[in-house]
Amino acid sequence: MKKKLAAMTLVAAMAVSMFAGCGSSSADSSSASKKTSGDSGSGETVDLKLWASENDQDLMKTLTDKFAKENSGTKFNITIGKLSEGDAKDTVLKDPTAAADVFSFASDQIYDLVDAGALQPVQDEDKKTIEAEDVESSVTAATVDDTLYAYPATADNGYFLYYDKNVIPEEDAKQWDTILADCQKAGKQVGMVFESGYYVAGFYYGAGFTTKRNDDGSTTLDWNGTSPSGIKGADVAQAMVDIAKNKAFMAVKDGDSANQIASGKLAAIVSGTWDSKAVQEQFGDGYAATVLPTYTVNGKQVDMASSAGYKFWGVNKNSKNVGWAMKLAMFLSNKDSQMERFKSGATGPANKEDMESPEVQKDIAISAILAQNSKNGVVQMVTQTFWDNTKTFGAKLAKGNPDNENLQKLLDDLVEACAQKSE
Amino acid sequence: MADITQVVEKRANPVVAFFSAIGDFFKRFGIAVAQGDASVKLSLLICGVGYWRRKQIIKGIIVTLLEIGVIAYTALIGVGYIAKLPTLGTVQQEIVYNPDTMKNEMNHYDNSLLILLFGSISLVMIIVALILWMANEITVYHIQQDVEAGRHINTFRDDLHDLLNRKFHITLLFFPILGIIVFNIFPLIVMIAVAFTNYDRKHMPPAFLFHWVGLKNFKALFSNSLTMSFGYSFGKILGWTLLWAVLATATTYFGGIILSLLINYKYTRFKKMWRTLFVITIAIPQFVTLLMMRNFYADTGIVNTFLQKIGFVGFLKSIGLISTNYIPFLTSPGWAKASIVMINIWVGVPYLMLITTGVLLNIPSDLKESAMIDGANKFQIFRNITMPYMLFITGPYLVTQFTGNINNFNVIYLLTNNFYTTTDQKLAASSGQEVDLLVTWLFRLTSDKYNYKMASVIGICVFVICAVFTLFAFNFLIKGDREETFR
Repeated sequence: MKKKLAAMTLVAAMAVSMFAGCGSSSADSSSASKKTSGDSGSGETVDLKLWASENDQDLMKTLTDKFAKENSGTKFNITIGKLSEGDAKDTVLKDPTAAADVFSFASDQIYDLVDAGALQPVQDEDKKTIEAEDVESSVTAATVDDTLYAYPATADNGYFLYYDKNVIPEEDAKQWDTILADCQKAGKQVGMVFESGYYVAGFYYGAGFTTKRNDDGSTTLDWNGTSPSGIKGADVAQAMVDIAKNKAFMAVKDGDSANQIASGKLAAIVSGTWDSKAVQEQFGDGYAATVLPTYTVNGKQVDMASSAGYKFWGVNKNSKNVGWAMKLAMFLSNKDSQMERFKSGATGPANKEDMESPEVQKDIAISAILAQNSKNGVVQMVTQTFWDNTKTFGAKLAKGNPDNENLQKLLDDLVEACAQKSE
Repeated sequence: MADITQVVEKRANPVVAFFSAIGDFFKRFGIAVAQGDASVKLSLLICGVGYWRRKQIIKGIIVTLLEIGVIAYTALIGVGYIAKLPTLGTVQQEIVYNPDTMKNEMNHYDNSLLILLFGSISLVMIIVALILWMANEITVYHIQQDVEAGRHINTFRDDLHDLLNRKFHITLLFFPILGIIVFNIFPLIVMIAVAFTNYDRKHMPPAFLFHWVGLKNFKALFSNSLTMSFGYSFGKILGWTLLWAVLATATTYFGGIILSLLINYKYTRFKKMWRTLFVITIAIPQFVTLLMMRNFYADTGIVNTFLQKIGFVGFLKSIGLISTNYIPFLTSPGWAKASIVMINIWVGVPYLMLITTGVLLNIPSDLKESAMIDGANKFQIFRNITMPYMLFITGPYLVTQFTGNINNFNVIYLLTNNFYTTTDQKLAASSGQEVDLLVTWLFRLTSDKYNYKMASVIGICVFVICAVFTLFAFNFLIKGDREETFR
């Protein structure tokens, strides 16, 4: 999720501006503003600023129109701006008092936003509804120190395996070893990002390791020890190095996956729903997706986990109309809006009923991520220190540990570096 | 020996002169207060009185209004902020939602950043006002002296006239200096002050307060453990920054000279076409060039694919230069540093070519001709005439180029951001990379990590390094007394 979404939006923005040329729309905040006159017209106009991702602009227009119609007793002036969910916090935290009243963001940013005091806690009444209607893990991810700070909107962040049925038979898609072997035979490659804590963690979570977020800004990892299921952290790293050294493995860069898919070299890739269209185009009738494969540690098969992520609606604590902002956030995250969002952009809903609906189940990528997250999806509990340090660790593994460094020592260093306090 | 002492004396002079000027200023103020008449003494209280006494009504009114303005600002706004400056605020923001009004209710909280900003501005303003107040007293006393000596006293019209003629430099410089104070000096003061606070992502106004922490952040810059690796990163990044500045400046400089020499060579045909071709690279926005280069030289980019196809990558691997199936042009420390310098040559040489073409055409041809008659060969002419002349003319440009390269954000950031990953855990622990310059590191610390306090400390270091180098270079390397060599 993190940088991925930012990169995706960037790529999309570039593509749009390339194709559409001068005709494309311009600045961030230039947006459709509209006035809806209520029948009674009691009170003054409520100004609300809404920031959503570039892809959701049309959808937001529809939804806010609907919102205004439902609350026709009040006049609204809702401005919709563009904001990529991947780096919402960077924009919002630049000046929280000038940021939008309601904005969409990826779940890993909730700590930074809460730390900076930018999020309005969800009111108790709404909290009950959210807890009843949305998947439990999404509510957990939106909760910091027992307070619910955000409104879950999608549950499709995370990664799983895309593969080409024509190259890799379904029964082979269950293990890294067989996938790599099949690809080698066909002269194809398997892609995955190793150079990111988001993906590296998948191997460790799968083996039973954990991450823990501390109040002093440090992250506690137990990756240099032995997991409850008896797997040594260094062996997991070794397994990753073995995969990386395989000729059929391609270490994809974060944000570069769409390019690599389009290059046609890949027959399988570990990625998320954001790549579903690209993969479908490339694999054609062989397009398939499933839960993550198992990897080999000392001859034993170990499950991989996905770092589950969500998209939330957040309400700015500094909002002038915080009451209406909360109502809007609640509306945008309700069952119908989530379904609407699924239909417009193929995003996996966090609403339990929506999840069960046949339309959602039919979508190959969405059903794969929902299956992965319900089988083995871990909400990453980490602080800022985690990302840079695991990225470096992952980069070394991605290169196949070129200097043959002691993996135990690498892990010890990683654990110590993640334990730094940010005071 | 005598020369050296003379030089030292000469260098010490500005400092001595500065302090003696200050002493002189206070002395003149003292004399003005002691020897001024009643109206001059009263000017200490109401600044305009001295002017009114000598019939300079409008000037007196302006000065008095200014005085009232300063006092009013200080009393109404300044004092409040200055009083909070020692603590940077004590009341934290508290927000409670009121379901009835559907609004959030806030307490009267302190905003540390605003306190720091307005507090320091107010302090500076008071100091400046004091100096102006003393200067005003001296001026009023001068007018008294002028009257006593029977000299002409300026009317307001005369003063305005002066500003457009005799004192036109003051009129011209007023706005640039005001701009420097507002946009450079004030932010600089605040940014320097931030280095002594704990302003970071855990202490972000308006929701939270930050406080003074003394020299703690500077101590962190000399720390060297994995959990506190700023010292380690600073050393490494500073080393590369300086190396980069030297390499980037030298390569583009000599590259530019050689290129323009080649283009201007007697037997080169289509001179204008070649020159235009290189200028076209300037016409393309730098960031476009850089991002394209980045993609060309990516691990799976076009250059790597090509080199793989012709077997060059395999060759490098067989002799042990690389261990990967691609050449890590921009992804492993050594390769990346070399590639960045090379790419920078491509970006920077055309500018130098343009500048040096101009200078080369200006080298007096009689110098070259007489050298040729004396039997000097091409290389000797280049070494003994062309280069010294070039260095003399472009010396200041070289110095600015060097400091510019220390802060060359674009090239490094666009080529490596989100692309290069450090494999050094200690660097990663403080968000640094091997290929970072101090500025790009600083940028990442502020924009990604909100670590304003450390960024400010590093900013101060960059400033000191650049200032020391520039002063040194201008004073010792570029002497203004070499001109006669070429006359």
